[in-house]
Amino acid sequence: MMNIRSLFLIDRAVASRLFFAGLLAVVASGALCADVRVGFTQDALTLDPANHRKRETETVIRNLYDAVMTQTSKSQTVPEIAESVRQIDPVTYEVKLRKGVKFHSGDEMTADDVKFTYDRLTKDKAMGGQTSPRQSLVGPLVSTDVVDRYTVRFKLKEPWPVFERMLPAQQVVSRKFVEKVGNDGMATQANGTGPFKLVEWRRGDSIIMERFADYYGGAPAIPPVGAAKADRLIFKIIPENASRMAALMAGEVDVVNEVPVFAINTIERSGKAKVVKANGTRTFFIALNVTKPPFSDVRVRQAANHAVDKKLLIDRLLGNAATPVAGVLSPESFGYKKGLREYEFDPNKAKKLLADAGFAKGIDVTLDTEGAFKDQAEAIASMLTKVGIRTKVQVWEGAVLTPIWRADKKERDMYFSSWGSGALDPTGIFVPTLKTKDRGNSSGYSNPKVDKLLDAAESEMNTTKRADMYHEAERIVTEEAPWIFLWVPQDIYAISTRLRGWEPGTDSRINMHRAYLVK
Amino acid sequence: MRFGFIVERLLQLVPVLLGVSLVVFLMMTLTPGDPVEIMLGDQRVTPEQKESLRHDMGLDLPATERFVHFVANAVKGDFGRSFFHRRPVADVIAERLPATLELTIVAMLIALAVGIPLGVLAAVRRGSLIDKAATVISLIGTSMPGFWFGIMLILFFAVYLGWMPVSGRIDLEFEVPRITGMYLIDSVLSGRLDAFLNALRHIVMPAITLGLAMAALLMRVTRTSMIEVLQQDYIVFAEAKGLSRSRVLLRHALKNALIPTVTVAALETGYLLGGNTIVETVFGWPGLARVIVEGVFSRDYPLVQAGVLVIAVIYVMVNFAADVLYTILNPRIKL
Repeated sequence: MMNIRSLFLIDRAVASRLFFAGLLAVVASGALCADVRVGFTQDALTLDPANHRKRETETVIRNLYDAVMTQTSKSQTVPEIAESVRQIDPVTYEVKLRKGVKFHSGDEMTADDVKFTYDRLTKDKAMGGQTSPRQSLVGPLVSTDVVDRYTVRFKLKEPWPVFERMLPAQQVVSRKFVEKVGNDGMATQANGTGPFKLVEWRRGDSIIMERFADYYGGAPAIPPVGAAKADRLIFKIIPENASRMAALMAGEVDVVNEVPVFAINTIERSGKAKVVKANGTRTFFIALNVTKPPFSDVRVRQAANHAVDKKLLIDRLLGNAATPVAGVLSPESFGYKKGLREYEFDPNKAKKLLADAGFAKGIDVTLDTEGAFKDQAEAIASMLTKVGIRTKVQVWEGAVLTPIWRADKKERDMYFSSWGSGALDPTGIFVPTLKTKDRGNSSGYSNPKVDKLLDAAESEMNTTKRADMYHEAERIVTEEAPWIFLWVPQDIYAISTRLRGWEPGTDSRINMHRAYLVK
Repeated sequence: MRFGFIVERLLQLVPVLLGVSLVVFLMMTLTPGDPVEIMLGDQRVTPEQKESLRHDMGLDLPATERFVHFVANAVKGDFGRSFFHRRPVADVIAERLPATLELTIVAMLIALAVGIPLGVLAAVRRGSLIDKAATVISLIGTSMPGFWFGIMLILFFAVYLGWMPVSGRIDLEFEVPRITGMYLIDSVLSGRLDAFLNALRHIVMPAITLGLAMAALLMRVTRTSMIEVLQQDYIVFAEAKGLSRSRVLLRHALKNALIPTVTVAALETGYLLGGNTIVETVFGWPGLARVIVEGVFSRDYPLVQAGVLVIAVIYVMVNFAADVLYTILNPRIKL
């Protein structure tokens, strides 16, 4: 009979063999399961997925919490903690959840948690007497019903084709945990189903997470599936661009976001890191006030479009990190199609159009911009001035400028602006910026035909028909040119040459589930 | 020092703080920009949802009522909830204030330790090479922009030499029990020498960046007042009595020459607290100044009001301490 001592010895031998086998496997793959550190511009405002409206905060949270669906780096929406999402009728979606998905606390995530999460988002005053600031992000969702332990049904007030695309932005919380720690506790503690669990949040300095060993593996559509590869994930908050780049060069961080254009060459030459880019989610444009002269005349607006050399600007000012757009939509967006009218750079044509509109001697206008885009605005102003649209740039603070241009009465001339749509669906950008009197319609543009198409597309469930509607609307808009159509800037990141398993996505998030370092 | 003086000075705090609150409140309220619009950004929202958020932030109340609420609650230590952090403002400030205080204190110590001895030396060796060198150094110190100097320090000592960390307060491996929130003090109190040294490595570059201009100014002020004092009859008399040079300089001259230096140092605390904004950004220092600036841009009224109020209290208290210090330096000054 084997005594305890010999049992212990065998166990130790087996354990050591396993250990060395594991070590060999790690060495063979070149993987080094160490810390992955992200040099990040802003700290999270809160760790409560339902209590913020900040992109950077969501980026941090999505490493701790998973959602019903997620987005691939190529902007496809795929199930995450859901097994499947099925539309039963125009206003009902049924979600089958994966079994055995655990929260960091060890509790199993069930349909009740999903219902609780969405009730917290949609019901008035559901968060300790306050309403979630994310309520509007789930659109016309009116109720979430539990069918059984692993099935929920979402009921909408009206059809909303982008519903599935909005699901990745809402992370699932544990009912038990929220009831235990309260809403204030949720701000600083985390108990998600994500690949990393919270170790410590040093406010303003760093957010330290470690691998969640019981992670269910993540979305099957985004391989490899399994627990996080890095032992720890650390978001190190370094707001200043030069310092963030210095931290990358000094080897203190492995990924940095918002790489300034001037740093691209230095990083590429260093041999320690490389620059990676992905199309962003914001379309940049100059809104032309169509409600008063001179831009009430379509020929003046078209002249302005012909006067701007986008390629030159992208090359010189944006470090080639932007994609020019002929219209409203990003090339990554649903409904994007080629074949729109392109306003080629042609100063002579611009001058002619201006003369045809009765402004042969030119016009004097002002271009409003925020400080961050002053250089780009000034370069465009000089191009416009060359064709006779004599443009003066006025720099404002964003919080002051935005309400001026969102007011019903438009009094100024031109506005260097942008609009983002995280879901990359036209409804997030087309409707607010170009539908009559909608909240972001800075140019004051109004065309009943476009409004009708946008309204119809909002509830059209046939994706082909819906895409055609947006394309037709975009075709009309590009003809009428209420904007100078500019570009979609790319999000620029720099990563250590040792980093593997991560590529930037079109949703501007940094999900590090699959990231690891090699020697 | 009279007890009545202390009470009087503390009572003076009331109108000062009320004034500061009112000015900040008016500035934030009158500056265009709607916190609700800033928070919601570009996403779709119904008018009802917007109103509900406005109500949650208390922005549906008239401005006068908001101000009265703020003052009434602030007296009780309740500064309201931050619009964007969605937590009590007092919590946000309590988390961030120690970092700012720690950096300010160390920067001030560096400024005093460099500025005063250099000033004395320059005055004593007036016209010498040391005096000229000190003048040049002080000129550089006052004219060099803090953010540029900070980045240069990072590039040389952190990136090129790899001796110093680029950012942060302490390495991730170190956990210091929170007593005061100031890592240097807490690590000493808990007997953690390794953590103390690590925190020291982190604070050196930001503190030098922040304290440099103040050191230069203190050096100039000390030099000038020291030269003036050294020409006084009582110094000649002390020397005539046969007192040693060092005794004359330290006991008789420096003590009197320090009065303007103390005044300038106290006033410059405001500069240090303000200068923190830039240094905290460059070095990723998780202090209060950075949060206040972020709050200004996002129109986080409660956070900015409370943050500025706290900084005003510190400023007033430091100047109060300077008044007390006068009486120690020169007992003829009666308070």
